[in-house]
Amino acid sequence: MVFRSIERRIVAVFVGLLALVTSLTLLLVIESNDRVVSGESERRLGAGVRTFDYLVAYSQSQMETAASVLARDFSFREAIATQDRATVLSVLRNHGSRIGAGFMMVVSLDGMVMADTLAPGGKPRPAPFDGLLRAAQATGQSAGFDEMDGRLYQIAIVPIMAPGQIAWVAMGFNVDDSWARSFSAMSGLGIAVLAESDGRTVVPAGSLSAELRDALGERSALPPPDIPILMSLNGQRHHVMARPMSERATAVLLLSLDQAEAVFRDLHRSLAVIALGGAVLFILGSLRLARHIARPVNTLAEAARRIEAGDYHEPVPDSGADEIGQLAASFDRMRQGIAAREQKILRLAYEDGLTGLPNRTWLLDRLGRTGPTPPCAVLILDLDRFGLINDALGHAVGDRLLRLVGDRLVATVAPGIGVCRLWGDEFAVVRDGTDTEAAIALSVTIHAALQEPILLDGQRIDVGGSLGIGFWPQDAADSNTLLQRTELAVREAKRQFRGYALASEIGAGPPHEQLSLIGEMRDALLRQEFEVFYQPKLDLASGRVTGAEALLRWRHPSRGLIPPAQFIPFAEQTGFIREITPWLLDQVVARTAAWRAQGLNLVVSANLSTLDLLHSGLAPLVKRLLASSGLPPGQLCLEITESALMDDPDLALATLNQLAESGVRLSIDDYGAGHASLAYLKSLPVHELKIDQAFIFSLMESGKDAEIVRSTIALGHALGLKVVAEGAETDAELGWLKRAGCDVAQGYGIARPMPGAEVTGWMADQDSAVAR
Amino acid sequence: MIHRRTVLFVLALAACATEASAAELSACVTGPTGRPIPDAAVVVEGATVDPRMPRPLAAIEQIDRDFVPFLTIVRQGTEIEFPNRDPLKHHVYSFSAAKPFEIKLYAGKPAAPVLFDKTGDIAIGCNIHDWMEAYVLVVESPYFAKTGPDGCAKIADLPAGRHRLRLWHPLQRQAVAERPLVLDGADSIRIDATMEVSPRTARRKPPADKDDY
Repeated sequence: MVFRSIERRIVAVFVGLLALVTSLTLLLVIESNDRVVSGESERRLGAGVRTFDYLVAYSQSQMETAASVLARDFSFREAIATQDRATVLSVLRNHGSRIGAGFMMVVSLDGMVMADTLAPGGKPRPAPFDGLLRAAQATGQSAGFDEMDGRLYQIAIVPIMAPGQIAWVAMGFNVDDSWARSFSAMSGLGIAVLAESDGRTVVPAGSLSAELRDALGERSALPPPDIPILMSLNGQRHHVMARPMSERATAVLLLSLDQAEAVFRDLHRSLAVIALGGAVLFILGSLRLARHIARPVNTLAEAARRIEAGDYHEPVPDSGADEIGQLAASFDRMRQGIAAREQKILRLAYEDGLTGLPNRTWLLDRLGRTGPTPPCAVLILDLDRFGLINDALGHAVGDRLLRLVGDRLVATVAPGIGVCRLWGDEFAVVRDGTDTEAAIALSVTIHAALQEPILLDGQRIDVGGSLGIGFWPQDAADSNTLLQRTELAVREAKRQFRGYALASEIGAGPPHEQLSLIGEMRDALLRQEFEVFYQPKLDLASGRVTGAEALLRWRHPSRGLIPPAQFIPFAEQTGFIREITPWLLDQVVARTAAWRAQGLNLVVSANLSTLDLLHSGLAPLVKRLLASSGLPPGQLCLEITESALMDDPDLALATLNQLAESGVRLSIDDYGAGHASLAYLKSLPVHELKIDQAFIFSLMESGKDAEIVRSTIALGHALGLKVVAEGAETDAELGWLKRAGCDVAQGYGIARPMPGAEVTGWMADQDSAVAR
Repeated sequence: MIHRRTVLFVLALAACATEASAAELSACVTGPTGRPIPDAAVVVEGATVDPRMPRPLAAIEQIDRDFVPFLTIVRQGTEIEFPNRDPLKHHVYSFSAAKPFEIKLYAGKPAAPVLFDKTGDIAIGCNIHDWMEAYVLVVESPYFAKTGPDGCAKIADLPAGRHRLRLWHPLQRQAVAERPLVLDGADSIRIDATMEVSPRTARRKPPADKDDY
């Protein structure tokens, strides 16, 4: 049996042990009592047998003495000698009554009864106890038991000498119930005399109850002589020993075992009562003790369950000064310790060590990582040029700058709006509610607040930054995805030199559609749903189209043409870009080779992603493609964004070097959107610099941007790089760029991206237009 | 001592015999195992007897709390004295049918001898000392003798004629039948007989108290 509670276990152990000890004691007592009873009864039986023998011998000698005295009485002898029968009888009676004899007789030497107190007037007859008489004739005198007229007697026969023998005198005691009772009173044993009479067992004498007597008489076989045996009579156990008295009579001595055991039965009863009482006391006592132990333990267990559930507030109840009380006290100190440490851990877990602001974990929790949370807007701020500042002024200054930015953010936003630092130079602002206009307004406010330079050690530092805006929970199914999308929006904002971008604009469509797009991309490649469009590039100096940029399009069967901005970010995230890029390069090389075969020699650019640069198989693939198509390496240009170089600059540089060695042209894409320094670009084996189209868009409106573009062109040329401008849409812009010395321009002002098959046709049109 | 006296007595009897033409009978009695039996009476009956033959006085003494002799054989009409030689008293009695008598406590020589005038065997005891016993055989014939320690007895001066030989012992288990005895004047005749006799040591005498003397 398994006891789940201490209480029951203690009671079970205590009571079980008591029961065990008590039962063993009882068993021992009973067992030894049995032995005592059996030994004692055997001893008493032995003593009874000796008493019996002694009494038999004693009454025999009594009779012999009496008979001898009588036999020597002169007058008696004279009466016998003179045949004076009346006198003889009277002497016999007189002596007989004096000693209490059952009968007295004078027997002649030839065995005839001459005088008999039982039959005073009877005629002479042969003596009835002829066996005893013969024994007396042989040895002079005899004694023993014999039956006469249906009654049992103990008989003694002695001679009458005068001086020669003249007769026998015989006398006998009645062996009857009173004889048996007197023996029983003397010996403490029961006695029954069993005699054979006419083939039946009769009980002529006994001290027993009528039932026991009948029970003994009904037994067919007499017990074996002189051996103590156990016998059951009327359901009572007796120790019995048989003592033969004569050939036909046997005395059976009995000792009732029940009687002998009675004393011990009282003892057993007392012991049992004591054991029961002890058991009850033990149960009560051990219950009390067990409760005394178990109650505080249960209280402690309850307190432990509360602490397990995270409730550290309720103190553990005090339960006295004993060991359990001490345990409870330590337990309470433990509770306080855990509560204090949890506070600390929580602080550490949710606080950014550098700025003291809440951290990314806090934000993720706020966004329902651990359960549903109210809707909110998340604004992620990424500082511009922080890498440059860190490089130039050192990490210590960078850290202080980040703290100051944090302070400024907190000072800028309204109370109740959370500010936290995600990592590096990324901050997040959380605003309750999903009001888009309010979120945009907040973004503008923050963006404007950062336009103000930050004073650090007397230096004015321009920070500035871009923001992405995501809404919880509309824009993502989970907090991580929301942060990813919002960060994408930040990049998009940076790319476009805008203050902010909405995450919902990045990767159109609700989240489930994005998921399905990701799933469909793989099938799209197999079904050849991807297409390569080409956007011509114009050599500004010659006014001729000398190149084109290959742009990926997805002709979705149900959604139509999908622009790259809507699926390339996911292709990069999922790694699927590694399968797209080789396909794209294969298409581009094949197309360029085909044009070359038609006499159209264009330098065609293809975009590489970060993952492509980190893929060691890229350079061998490019070599293989060029070799198999026979295209001169100089006609293939690969464009890389600044950010693509930043993840693992060493590996990226190794890949770039391999590509450069193979003769392929390399171009830095979107220059100006990121914070790559020109000093770094100088160390790269690149040939071309593409100014981000965001600069070109605002070229004509912003003098500042124009200045940036102009100085960038100058810098690029200074570093020996060809400079390409993207997003040129108007003739004015083209004219400005030509004047600024930009080498190549690309944009709607020249041509929109078009399928490869249309390029030759468009070229022909252009030529004819120029010719016109 | 007892035996010697007995022999002397027999010799005295023999000396009393007067018939000259007499024969001598020698009878030896043994038990079934051949052991000689003393104190057996050998009596020749049926002879013609001279009525004048004397009947000398016999005596049964009490010496050292015993009767001496054990067996006395007398002719019918003989008187026997019971002199007490012990320093204490005796009470001599007999319940035998041939001569019941009683001599109450006495010392020394009783006043009168006891006359045994009927034939038969008489057992004599002492009421004080149970072990004391003596026997008297009263016969008609004067021809009798008692066997000595060798179990033999001699009767001299027996007249010739047809007689009966009778053997008797106080402790005999069975009566021995009389047998005819024919004497034809031969000098002597020898008869061997057997009989069964109970041993005499049945009742022990306690040691004498010195103060009794």
